[in-house]
Amino acid sequence: MFQLISDGITYLTAQSGESLLRLFWFVAIFEFPRYTLSFVSVAALAFRTNATAAPYRGKVSVLIAGHNEEDSIERCVRSLHEQSRPPDEIIVVSDGSTDRMPEKLRELQDAGLIKEGHCTHVRSGKSAGVNLALARATGEIVVNVDCDCTFDRHAIRNILEPFADPRVGAVSGNIVARNATHSLVTAFQAIEYLITISQGKQAADLTGQVSCVSGAFGAFRSKALRGIGGLDAGGGEDLDATLSLRKAGWKAVFAPESICYTDVPESLGVLVRQRFRWERDAVHLRYRKHRELLNPFSSRFSIRELLHELDFLVFNLGSAVIFPFYIVWLIATFEELGLIILLAAQVGMMVLEFFVFCMAALVTPRVNALGLFPYVPGFSLFNGFVMRFVRLGAYLEEWIFEASYRDTYVPQKVHRVRR
Amino acid sequence: MTTATAFPLESDAGTGIARRILVAEDSPTTHEILKLLLSQRGHQVDIATDGEQALEALRSNRYDVALLDFHLPKMDGLQVATAIRQEAHDQPVPRLIAITADVEGLLAHPGDCDNFDHVLPKPLDIYQVARVVEEQAEIADIEVEAPRPAPTAPIAAEHATVPRSPFEDLGYNLLTWPGDMEAGRLSARAMQASLGDPRFDGILVKAPVSVEQLGALWHTKALYVLPIVDLTGDLGPVADIDGSKLTALDRVQLDQVLRDFHDRRARLHRDLRFSVDLAEQLVGRAFVSNRPLKPAYDPHSKWLVSYDVALSAAVVAREAESLCERGLMRRVFFDRFHVCPGCDSLRLHVREECGQCHSADLEEEQYLHHFRCAHQGPEPDFRRGDKLVCPKCRYELTHFGFDYDRPGSMVVCHACGHAASEPAVGFVCLDCGSHTDSELAPPRDVYTYHLTDDGVGFAEHGQSLLGSASQAVRFAELPLELVIALNAAAKKFNETHEPFTLINIVYSNEREVVAQQGARAFVKARDLFIENLRSSLNSETDLVVKGQSHDFVLVGGSKPDQAKADFDLLLVRAENTLRHDIDPSFQAFGPEDFA
Repeated sequence: MFQLISDGITYLTAQSGESLLRLFWFVAIFEFPRYTLSFVSVAALAFRTNATAAPYRGKVSVLIAGHNEEDSIERCVRSLHEQSRPPDEIIVVSDGSTDRMPEKLRELQDAGLIKEGHCTHVRSGKSAGVNLALARATGEIVVNVDCDCTFDRHAIRNILEPFADPRVGAVSGNIVARNATHSLVTAFQAIEYLITISQGKQAADLTGQVSCVSGAFGAFRSKALRGIGGLDAGGGEDLDATLSLRKAGWKAVFAPESICYTDVPESLGVLVRQRFRWERDAVHLRYRKHRELLNPFSSRFSIRELLHELDFLVFNLGSAVIFPFYIVWLIATFEELGLIILLAAQVGMMVLEFFVFCMAALVTPRVNALGLFPYVPGFSLFNGFVMRFVRLGAYLEEWIFEASYRDTYVPQKVHRVRR
Repeated sequence: MTTATAFPLESDAGTGIARRILVAEDSPTTHEILKLLLSQRGHQVDIATDGEQALEALRSNRYDVALLDFHLPKMDGLQVATAIRQEAHDQPVPRLIAITADVEGLLAHPGDCDNFDHVLPKPLDIYQVARVVEEQAEIADIEVEAPRPAPTAPIAAEHATVPRSPFEDLGYNLLTWPGDMEAGRLSARAMQASLGDPRFDGILVKAPVSVEQLGALWHTKALYVLPIVDLTGDLGPVADIDGSKLTALDRVQLDQVLRDFHDRRARLHRDLRFSVDLAEQLVGRAFVSNRPLKPAYDPHSKWLVSYDVALSAAVVAREAESLCERGLMRRVFFDRFHVCPGCDSLRLHVREECGQCHSADLEEEQYLHHFRCAHQGPEPDFRRGDKLVCPKCRYELTHFGFDYDRPGSMVVCHACGHAASEPAVGFVCLDCGSHTDSELAPPRDVYTYHLTDDGVGFAEHGQSLLGSASQAVRFAELPLELVIALNAAAKKFNETHEPFTLINIVYSNEREVVAQQGARAFVKARDLFIENLRSSLNSETDLVVKGQSHDFVLVGGSKPDQAKADFDLLLVRAENTLRHDIDPSFQAFGPEDFA
């Protein structure tokens, strides 16, 4: 074993730059550019003038749609009232809840904590629930939140700031894992959220490429959201709505200072199921529902949309699909030495990821990232070997079986007829 | 050194006017005590021991009041009364009061018995005697101005506006409203009835009257236990008999009700019959009417209910609650109301309303869910003539359950536009017009009140049943024989300082034994117990007297402390041979207690 490693090191150190690229082409294509972009964006962020915009003066409605959320709805509503800029109205829809959520809503309404609470008797799905709430909302801005979210004191104030720009139709909040220290899996996700959301979306924002306004915490100009008919049926409605808004010409931006906390899945099983759902929905939406964005002959086609489409195509889809081929190629070409090369590649990625994490922590000062540092090497392995295959599985499943039409997040009656 | 008062009645101050009174009574004990009692109150008392003597005295002297024993030697009280009235013609006659152990026998001669102004049942209640005598004398004073009509003839002439009712000719002795009772005024007959005269059958309400006006009944002693016969039909459950619905065929029913009231009134202890305490009166009323204090819905009352007595619901509830606390009544839930916090009215208009603006102008709107595009909104938005078209995607909805469904509804307020999944419930007070949210209007429970066993016992045995009253001897309860002996002992004590002790024996288990073994068993056990006591006491100095519910021993020559110690042993010994545990206990009173 040691012999093998020392052989490997000898072999690698003997390579020239060009031959190294030939060995690590996967990293060079699918990983390195992404990190480079991050470096650039953080550098750019450092130069961005952080002028505090004037507080947004319009009326703000918060919309919450939940199914069986009797335990979390009150905490969520109360945390909204704790905001430095409390919402002007809160409208909650209990989507076919079978627990005590309807009674809870009545209590909240009687206590004056929410303006309206509506309860459907049968489940309609989150999109329909939000649409019902949207119809009742009177604010110029509507903020969608999930029941299980709690908020930083200034989250609403900060998510409203970008609306000063009249072209902005949607603003995504910054999602942070609340239960980072619960288990290894949650720690990895906390790191992932920091890198892909807190830092990743900030980078995307620089180039106008925010393509998903998080469903857990996102704000919309009501006019814009009503213009696209509210949310559509099916999963991934946040990505769906954002793509629709972008198609309609609205800007989607990211508000890094607007922080919302949520519990991430605590066991691997739940996490895997969640990611299968997300990735399936992403594939379905990007390559089926909104496929004209990739069609150069479509009237909807634009460079602006092409960038985030390519980003997803290369760094998400490509890296997952090509990776098995890379491993097979390594083993076939270098036999035992292939493993060493793979290991070396992973070490290199760890170093890169460590830097990226440092930068993410730097641009998200509100999150105490120090405690997460020991998990970064593990995260790198987890992300590179486990989650990549989870994504691959999800893509294949969706491609072959259209599994997104079966997930239980959306009622079956809706799956049957939705696009 | 304290001075024992010769007679306890002195504490009850008289009216101050000295009256001349004739007592016709053959029993020396009785006339002795009556003389003692009345003369101590400042009246001048003459004694007659037979009927002829009495008639002679009445002819030759002018008396204010004459107490006539019904059973007198030579000529009975009734004959004396009849004779004196016939002789008098238009001349004033003293107030004539019959004393009898046989009230029913006296009442059996309705015509003749009208010659009496009042009837006092035996055994005599010494408090009542003094009061009746004095009040009868006052009635006589009133009648000097308005000459006395025959007791059964109501003062109809004065009230030409209220025609005579056929009920008044049925042979009952009914007080009338108006007539005998009106706001602030009572006729002589009514006053007499208020003294507990057993000859009165009830109160006939001939003209519309409010419950508040009838409330005067409760201030006038024994009037409250008379049944109310309502000819107007307006009193509803407040009346004991709804005369407006009775026909001649219902005579039997009327008879029955009046008789039941009579019987139960006779069983009601005098403590309650003459009580001025409203709560106690309610016990009496429930006992006499033999029914619980029962509420009935009444839209005219601010309380939305009326009880079946001539008192407002609020008063009944307040008093009955205090009785529940005392264990004399128990309550049974009737209904729950909500109260206007502003004016305490229960007349609230309940309605579904908007939670924001309290308008009742609400409409329920169903919403549709179009599965395909997730649009969910009110049905009118989908309506295009008879078609349902999704406002978001223009897709026509044709297949319920496949294209769309109706997941719920919301209540929309036309006044302010607010919508909620369910309407709020609010109250508007019909009395003060103010609005109250349903949860802010406190509930008020209304109960039916039943007499408990203790309550029935209290009605039958009076204060003696209650713990508080047993702390002191109640002179009103003492048998005359004992009063005389006590009087003698007190006199002796004042002169020679020879102490005495009055022992009051109470039987705590009376009701249990009666309930389990029957009344006879208890009476036998108690008799045996008293006999045992008597045989172990010194018959020369000690006197054992049986009372109504208590028994008494007057021990001469010893102070309470000594007597107590001796008596403890005696009690145990006397109790030994009894078959039933009647649980006798006693209290001892010395001369100081009579100060």
